[in-house]
Amino acid sequence: MTERVEIEVGDRTVREINEDIQARAKAGQAMRVSNPLSRHNLGVGLPTGADIVFEGSVGYYCGGLNNGATVDIRRNAGWGVGEAQASGDITVHGYAGMSVGAAMLGGLIHVKGDCGPRCGVAMKGGDIIVEGKIGYQSGFMSHAGRIIALGGAGESCADALWAGEVWVAGDIDSLGVDAKVVEPAPEEVEDVETLLASRGLADSARNWRKIVSGQRLWYFESRDAKAWLMI
Amino acid sequence: MCGIAGRVLKDHGNVGEDLVRLMAAQAHRGADSTGFAVYGPPRDDGYVVRAMGFDRTRLGTDLDDFQAALRECGSDFLEEPTTTLGDAAHYSVRAVISDPTDLARWVHTADAMADRLEVQSVGRSLEIVKDTGDAIAVADKHDVWSMRGTHGLGHARLATESSVLPNASHPFWARPFADVAIVHNGQITDYFTQRDRLERAGYRFMTQNDSELIAVWVSDQMRQGLTKAQALEKSVGAIDGVFTFLITDVESMGFAKDRFAMKPLVTVEQHGEMTAGTEEQSVRRVHAGEVDVINYDGPSITRLWQVGDLRAAA
Repeated sequence: MTERVEIEVGDRTVREINEDIQARAKAGQAMRVSNPLSRHNLGVGLPTGADIVFEGSVGYYCGGLNNGATVDIRRNAGWGVGEAQASGDITVHGYAGMSVGAAMLGGLIHVKGDCGPRCGVAMKGGDIIVEGKIGYQSGFMSHAGRIIALGGAGESCADALWAGEVWVAGDIDSLGVDAKVVEPAPEEVEDVETLLASRGLADSARNWRKIVSGQRLWYFESRDAKAWLMI
Repeated sequence: MCGIAGRVLKDHGNVGEDLVRLMAAQAHRGADSTGFAVYGPPRDDGYVVRAMGFDRTRLGTDLDDFQAALRECGSDFLEEPTTTLGDAAHYSVRAVISDPTDLARWVHTADAMADRLEVQSVGRSLEIVKDTGDAIAVADKHDVWSMRGTHGLGHARLATESSVLPNASHPFWARPFADVAIVHNGQITDYFTQRDRLERAGYRFMTQNDSELIAVWVSDQMRQGLTKAQALEKSVGAIDGVFTFLITDVESMGFAKDRFAMKPLVTVEQHGEMTAGTEEQSVRRVHAGEVDVINYDGPSITRLWQVGDLRAAA
């Protein structure tokens, strides 16, 4: 087991805590952050090779702008976990709030519980695995990358998806505007299952639905105006 | 952004102090003003009135005129009013009055001098305290710390839709319905239309704040026959904009969230008590250590907690 240095959050300022985290990361030390008390912006902008465990629930934007670190959140995460992550690996053991991996570019975010609305909003690459259910409007306006939900999807799934893919095993409450369910190719399924197997989630019996953009929203035509209205 | 909070105790207790702690943790969401609504033990008769005067040099005259308006409607002070003065020009008043013959008519009469002394809450139980500044500043000035009761609301305001005035802050009272208060995080985009409709129906609004209509809107729906739960559900489709609002009266606390799930609400519900906040780090100020937090993240959610039931469940 990795020997970890202890970093206490408590009442210290987030700037102070993050400077501490950055210095430890630079020194190549693995970290355990205790008593996070759901504070916001913890561990933002972590560099390649950083290894950090949060012992408790974190607030908004934990692991945001990640650039190659491994982040392990042992309980819940608030909004925007891993926002704009370029590369790296974030695991949330419990529930993750709204906008998981918003605008992320690469790497992996793995949520073991459910997550809130707009998971993967505007994502531009990488993978998000959610073992539970993804919330309302997940995949909203994503440009690239994959969202893989094992426990179903909430309303308006893949709403206004631009490109990229949303893979759902389980029930979908409803599809969003311009979202289209297509039959995945066997090699695509194999690729997804290989990724899942790497996280100990192998199960070849899953009934996948792959959702992609219907591409009707790519070009505005006045006769399609109704399709632009979400309500 | 704004931050909101709610607290329901299983019994009469230090709800004021809990609300201050909840709001202090959310002061970064807006510190233009902060406000609290606390529900103390309900009176059998008489009302507690909280009001704000805008010119402290006129305090004596204001209170005389206020008393004259009371007497005109068959009411009077039951106790000598107490005032809170600060460095600013405005001041706050707490008064206990006997039952007017017609509460709505009295509120209407009292509002004739609202440019000098504005009534901010009327209730058997409800008391609203609000002022400019962050949670600690307002709590210290008005001693919210020692306010006791069964439940209450808190609000930290980042002024977006109207001026930074002490009276334009939350919580808002459902003028002229006794004991109803709301706090709101978000923006109501059709509030001029909604407000116009309510004004035509005889309601009066004191500020240009979008949130002011919510309490009146819900109360009006109930006056027209809806239950509180039905009114909350209807609000999701009928009020346009993004919102999470908490609404309270003597018996219950409820919330409603917009269709797009744009504004958060987290709660801790245990041991017959309930704590609500915009941010999880806020509810953790009241509940030390690890605790199960419920995230009401989905769209179009409403919920109602009966204060009595929470007490009975304990």
